[in-house]
Amino acid sequence: MRFLLLNHIQNARQSLHSNRLRSGLTMLGVTIGVASITTILALSAGASKVIGDQVDALSGNIAVIRPGITSPDSLSNLTLANPHRDFAASSLTEADIALISNVAHVEAVAPLMVLSGTVKADSVAPSETPIVATSPELELISNLKVQDGQFIDSTVDQDTATIGAQLSIDIFGTDHSIGKTFTIRGKPFTVIGILKRTNNPINYNSIDFDTAAIVSLTSGKQLNQGLPQIQQINVRSDSVTNLNEAIINLNKTLIVAHHGEHDFTILTGNQISQPTSQLFYTIAGLTAAVAGISLLVGGIGIMNIMLVSVAERTREIGIRKALGATNADITIQFLIESLAMGLGGGIAGYVVGYLLAFGISTFLTFDPVLNWEIVIVALTLSVTMGTVFGLYPAIRAARKDPIESLREYN
Amino acid sequence: MKVMPNPDSPPVIELHDLKKRFGIGDAEHFALDGIDLVIQKGEFIAIMGPSGCGKTTLLNIIGLLDCSTDGDYNLDGRAVATLSAHRQARIRSQQIGFIFQSFNLISRLNIIENVALPLTYKGIGRTKRLTLASAMLRNFHLNEREYYMPYQLSGGQTQRVAIARALVNQPSIILADEPTGNLDSRSSHVIMEELSDLHKRGNTIIMVTHNPSLTTYASRVITMLDGRVDTDTHTPIEKPLLIAAKRPLGGSPALKAIKLKDRSSRRTRKAKKSHRTHEMSHK
Repeated sequence: MRFLLLNHIQNARQSLHSNRLRSGLTMLGVTIGVASITTILALSAGASKVIGDQVDALSGNIAVIRPGITSPDSLSNLTLANPHRDFAASSLTEADIALISNVAHVEAVAPLMVLSGTVKADSVAPSETPIVATSPELELISNLKVQDGQFIDSTVDQDTATIGAQLSIDIFGTDHSIGKTFTIRGKPFTVIGILKRTNNPINYNSIDFDTAAIVSLTSGKQLNQGLPQIQQINVRSDSVTNLNEAIINLNKTLIVAHHGEHDFTILTGNQISQPTSQLFYTIAGLTAAVAGISLLVGGIGIMNIMLVSVAERTREIGIRKALGATNADITIQFLIESLAMGLGGGIAGYVVGYLLAFGISTFLTFDPVLNWEIVIVALTLSVTMGTVFGLYPAIRAARKDPIESLREYN
Repeated sequence: MKVMPNPDSPPVIELHDLKKRFGIGDAEHFALDGIDLVIQKGEFIAIMGPSGCGKTTLLNIIGLLDCSTDGDYNLDGRAVATLSAHRQARIRSQQIGFIFQSFNLISRLNIIENVALPLTYKGIGRTKRLTLASAMLRNFHLNEREYYMPYQLSGGQTQRVAIARALVNQPSIILADEPTGNLDSRSSHVIMEELSDLHKRGNTIIMVTHNPSLTTYASRVITMLDGRVDTDTHTPIEKPLLIAAKRPLGGSPALKAIKLKDRSSRRTRKAKKSHRTHEMSHK
């Protein structure tokens, strides 16, 4: 049996080689399908990894409090990935911030209130420019670096802002804009600091700090008709080991403050990135399903070519049977041929997919991920395709009547 | 040295009332209509007859490529009907060698690979396969053509390759379906010499042919007509009679013996008649 298998492999190689163009085009169908799936998976895994890395980089002592209840595994989290829920009143209040600051083991607290509005100086910033009202602690918690000047500070006048490097270029035409004035919703602010570029539009705060204008919470309230609308509170504990204790204390304090109503969620570690990762995986899954259609077309191509091959080689099947081949021998011979086409196309597709992903990533802010899960997906897909779509032609070949086959015109 | 059939050994092939029907209803047609035949080990049988008399069908059934509609076929004492398709394929691989009129080499494989093909299904490794195939080709003086493709050889050479392929498994039975049908007379005699040589080495050969001059190589000539055995130059009276007599089928042993006697006298008459016709046609 071992030799027979080896012989079938040699035979398949010979048969595919003798019909190079035909086999090549069939493999191309599989290659395109597998390549598109590999590209999508590699890029989406790359995007998810960015957030995961950020959470890891925050040395594990960060917790995020969000209004409302989210169950960590539910798909409904996807809608909560974006804290810009302007239409709903947040269950987190300014009073909560004061309470959280006093909880044991809590080192720093930064509320996030993200507004939208016209940001204007020499020119108008794009409409999606985030206006972030927060406390000076955000610099420490989210590890923001200032390139020039300083971060917003409680001792400095309230009408000041720290802006992202890209925003500075957008509205002033330069990233040296310290001391210049710009308006948010018509209210003037002076630039006191420029943030260093992060190149990280995807993060757990869901804010691209390169294009953001950061103002104090008081200024934010003034811009929002005196109302605080807190979408997220970032908390940093004094050490990694004390984070759990800090969370327990936070829970107790907030439940008491909210009259026993558990209308908030505290997330740590991977939970912070999970909704965003899930969002990416869902999008990736859907696009992969669409790419799967091309894979299906590739599979039908294999079946088509194998049926042609069986018809062409009917006489050969008859000869082989007369020389002692069993039905199983004939089935395996043709199955290995289709498997070789599927696997060949799959391996080529995997390589092409990664090259494509790396090509696309030069226009994106993250790199594709090379991991064994994608290798397994690509290989499993191609092997399954080769087998499933090759099985029917192989069985058809094996069932051919040897006498009829020998009569076939050569 | 010519190996003569041994009447004491059990017959290799035993056919009893073998029928093969094609089509149904109005189109029903019996290609074989009650064949009784016993073939001993080491016989060289030539089967003759007009086109459509069932020669090739008989050969296909003997070679386990086809199955009969009715009747018994015992190969080496075992009823073929009880064997699975897998087992039948194994027997084809190990015991039977086929030689076809149209050679039936696989065109995309070279000569040595074609000859080595039957060994594949015996599970023999590639190197050993090619060594054995090469040795077999040397016997047929084709060792210099090992890596030629089938279309690069003459008809006679191609048929010698096909014979080499049929023999590489060292089968005990060789079935040849008009092996010289596509060859000129010179090549035909070369091929027949090869077959005759194989017969001398003890192989059982059953050959279908249209060419009466080739029957001189055979030890027994059977002519067929309308799906039945018309004449048989050799009737292995003793042994098959006893075997047939022991069978419960076909009434009492005494009756069976009478029937067989009748049949043998008819066969002798027909053989004489055909011999006369043959002589006349030569004149």
